[in-house]
Amino acid sequence: MNGMNRRVRLAGLATCLLLVAVFVQLNYLQIFRASALDKNPLNTRNVVLRYEQPRGAIISADGITLAQSVPSHDQYKYQRVYPEGALFGQITGYYSFIYGTDGLENEYDAVLSQANASVTFPTDLQEVKSFFTNQPAPDNLHITVLSRLQRLAANELAGRAGAVVALVPSTGAVLAMYSNPTYNPSALASHNQATEQSAWKKLTSGPSSPLVAAAYRERFFPGSTFKVITSSAVYDHKPSLADKAMPVLTGLPLPDTANQVLHNFAGEACGGKLLELFTVSCDTGFGQLGLDLGGQSLYDEARAFGWDRPVPLDLPGVAESFFPQPSSFVRNAGALAKSAIGQESVQAVPLTLAMDAAAIADKGVIMTPHLLGRVTGSQGQTVTTYRPKQWLRATSAATAAKVTKLMLSVVNSPNGTGVAARIPGVQVAGKTGTAQTGGPNIETWFVAFAPVPNPQIAVAVLVENQPIGTEYQGGTIAAPIAKAIIQAYLQSGGKP
Amino acid sequence: MMMLVLALTGGLYALANLGRVGALPANIVPFLILVFALMLAAHVALRRLAPQADPVMLPLAALLNGIGYVFIARLDSQEASYQAIWTGVGIACFVGVLVAFPRAVNLERYRYLIALGGIILLVLPLAPHIGQDINGARLWVHVGPVNFQPEEFAKIALAIFFASVLAERADLLATGTRRIGRWLVLEPRYLAPLVAAWGVCLLVLLAENDLGSSFLFFTLLVGLLWIATGRWAYLALGAGMFLGAAVFALDVIHHAESRVQAWLHPWAHFATSGYQIIEGWFALAAGGMWGLGPGQGNPQIIPEASTDFIFASIGEELGLVGLAALLIAYLLIVGSGLRTAVRSQRSFSKLLATGLSLLMGVQVFVVAGGITRLIPLTGITLPFVSYGGSSLVSNYILLAILLRVSDDNAREQALADAAVLEAGPDAYRPVATASPTAVTEVVRP
Repeated sequence: MNGMNRRVRLAGLATCLLLVAVFVQLNYLQIFRASALDKNPLNTRNVVLRYEQPRGAIISADGITLAQSVPSHDQYKYQRVYPEGALFGQITGYYSFIYGTDGLENEYDAVLSQANASVTFPTDLQEVKSFFTNQPAPDNLHITVLSRLQRLAANELAGRAGAVVALVPSTGAVLAMYSNPTYNPSALASHNQATEQSAWKKLTSGPSSPLVAAAYRERFFPGSTFKVITSSAVYDHKPSLADKAMPVLTGLPLPDTANQVLHNFAGEACGGKLLELFTVSCDTGFGQLGLDLGGQSLYDEARAFGWDRPVPLDLPGVAESFFPQPSSFVRNAGALAKSAIGQESVQAVPLTLAMDAAAIADKGVIMTPHLLGRVTGSQGQTVTTYRPKQWLRATSAATAAKVTKLMLSVVNSPNGTGVAARIPGVQVAGKTGTAQTGGPNIETWFVAFAPVPNPQIAVAVLVENQPIGTEYQGGTIAAPIAKAIIQAYLQSGGKP
Repeated sequence: MMMLVLALTGGLYALANLGRVGALPANIVPFLILVFALMLAAHVALRRLAPQADPVMLPLAALLNGIGYVFIARLDSQEASYQAIWTGVGIACFVGVLVAFPRAVNLERYRYLIALGGIILLVLPLAPHIGQDINGARLWVHVGPVNFQPEEFAKIALAIFFASVLAERADLLATGTRRIGRWLVLEPRYLAPLVAAWGVCLLVLLAENDLGSSFLFFTLLVGLLWIATGRWAYLALGAGMFLGAAVFALDVIHHAESRVQAWLHPWAHFATSGYQIIEGWFALAAGGMWGLGPGQGNPQIIPEASTDFIFASIGEELGLVGLAALLIAYLLIVGSGLRTAVRSQRSFSKLLATGLSLLMGVQVFVVAGGITRLIPLTGITLPFVSYGGSSLVSNYILLAILLRVSDDNAREQALADAAVLEAGPDAYRPVATASPTAVTEVVRP
């Protein structure tokens, strides 16, 4: 009988050990391996969970809802909708079951999803309920973009391929950032897989995908707008060149080449000191300036203006502007001359050029560009507010003041290329760009800021695929768009 | 203690509903009254019918039943209403067993009848017309509107039968009496009933493709044999035979083979046999330490979330802490059962209580171990928690028998104490040694 009792106890111990083994294995699964299992691509649990919860809204600076979750009455509880559709598609991005997220939906996922919802103390029955259900309403994201400027940019481009980027120079806040072609994210957020897939196919099948936003994800030849940086390099690295009178030429023979000649636009003859060269955008003069400055100086200046480095805009996949390494100019001075006027292999992202204009406007400082304005809780209380940060010092305040004078001359001088940007009563500083692409068409640019002396807005405008003409198209096509944006913004006094 | 259980269950039910639909359940009051009434009925019945039984086991079972109900209600309201009915039937059977058998010994009287009943129950699913294949195993019987899994009841019948046979023949089975060569071998006829019962249930289970239950029966038989005789050889022999049977089963039964494949390589079989176990893991991982909270998770993604995989469903929403509590509750029930066995003065009662306790403990291990991939997954239920009438009713019957044995012990102890008081300390020993039936039966052959 005692032996039996002993064996019963042993059996009890064995059972105990079996359940302890289960407990140990549970620790392994629920604690140690939990995050790996959570992240496993086969695990649809989190996706489903996310779709069962409301997501915060994205709201423009002038109070327009750009994205929000509405009850859906289907297999998931909420449907993501984009009331402004394609106008903000490249900023909001999409929230897709199959294709994940992009744009702000991706960048601020933690803010918009439940995960970081700010918990407030419940004060009424509804809140007590949500307190217990652990589903506080998510926070909302307020961005700096003004929907009316964004709409104006879209209207001004009028369907033409191109981009408009407007910033507040002193803070880096993005006021407008629109490019064509764009897309409406609604179809990608559909809960219907077939709708999602066909929308995706359409967006990714063409030669230039609207998902690759021209405003911040694509590079273009900057053309003469690069002369802003070349001029700044002159003041920073070889100030004496500013007063060097360049010969009046129609073409500049390029060294290290087989008799290649750099011609001025439309075969014009030009020359003179920096101010004159800049005002009429003299290619032969700037080509010579580039040769005189040397590759290293130009490269250093471009770097200082935010080229060849990742741009800290709060969106995923922002492209870098490109200026070639100084070593590439060795025994290739022709390329150096062309680079000084924004040709050859120099490539700019419209966002970078807007930031460079803002740098001149803001006494040589580039503020970190940002879309985030503030985050508000479910009851409208502000949770966090974005604080402006300096990103780079592009140049000295003195140089910025000198370059500002050059840019004012472009708009104000009778022979300036940017006269179309003149606004009565407002001092506008600008620079045109008309870049050859190697094909039959050209890219037209205008970068500007206003009002001098206390600039409130900096703009970069790009209109692609324009036929080659006899005018400086940067001045005739892109400058009026920049003017419209600046005027609209200043008329409201910068208020929403 | 019962009150605490009721409060816990009610609270959990309210929270689960809050979490799922953001509102207090509309039927919270009738629900609480019903649960309250059922548990109170069971409690009062136990106090009246077996006043000196272990006071811990019923509240623990009620807690497990309550947690299970909350999760079933959270997953499927239709199933929940059935489960409520089954809880009522289970408690009725619980009371019925206590009424029908005022002494555990009474069960011993009907052992061959019970064994026959158990075997009939096991064979039943194989019968044409009423048997039914579900998920590759033929475990179900449907008679009119009622479907049930007879094997759940058969396991109790077999535990009673094994206990009674072993109590009678333990000593004979402990030592060999027939000499073959230089080995002393057991007299075959002593072992015959056991081997026959085991053979029948194994064959039947293999025919029904139910590996989980066959493992359960095997453990029951081998464990009881060892406990009754003290021969380690039985354990070794049992393990060997089971492994042999398992290897044979793998060759023959496709269902078993795919289960083992899913066990060894679940990720490779994600789209097919591994899907359930991996979704179970995802659920457990989502739960983490504290769980997502009742009503907050998505356990419905797992196939069979309310039956075989309710353990994973609970793990998702109550976390490791909740599952640990569940395991502790089972350990306490098994522990109380085994303590009952240790205190029992009769071999039959002792083996019966041991067998039933081990059944429950091993069943929990087979389910939880299957879900956590310690062992291959087999479709059996988590006692008291899983959705399923057969499981719930049979476990309440099992509990009633354990409590009956426990009450017997206390009463016999009281009688013995009284005898000691009357006749002085020396009188105790005869009472104690006279009571085991095994001793008297040994003389007969």
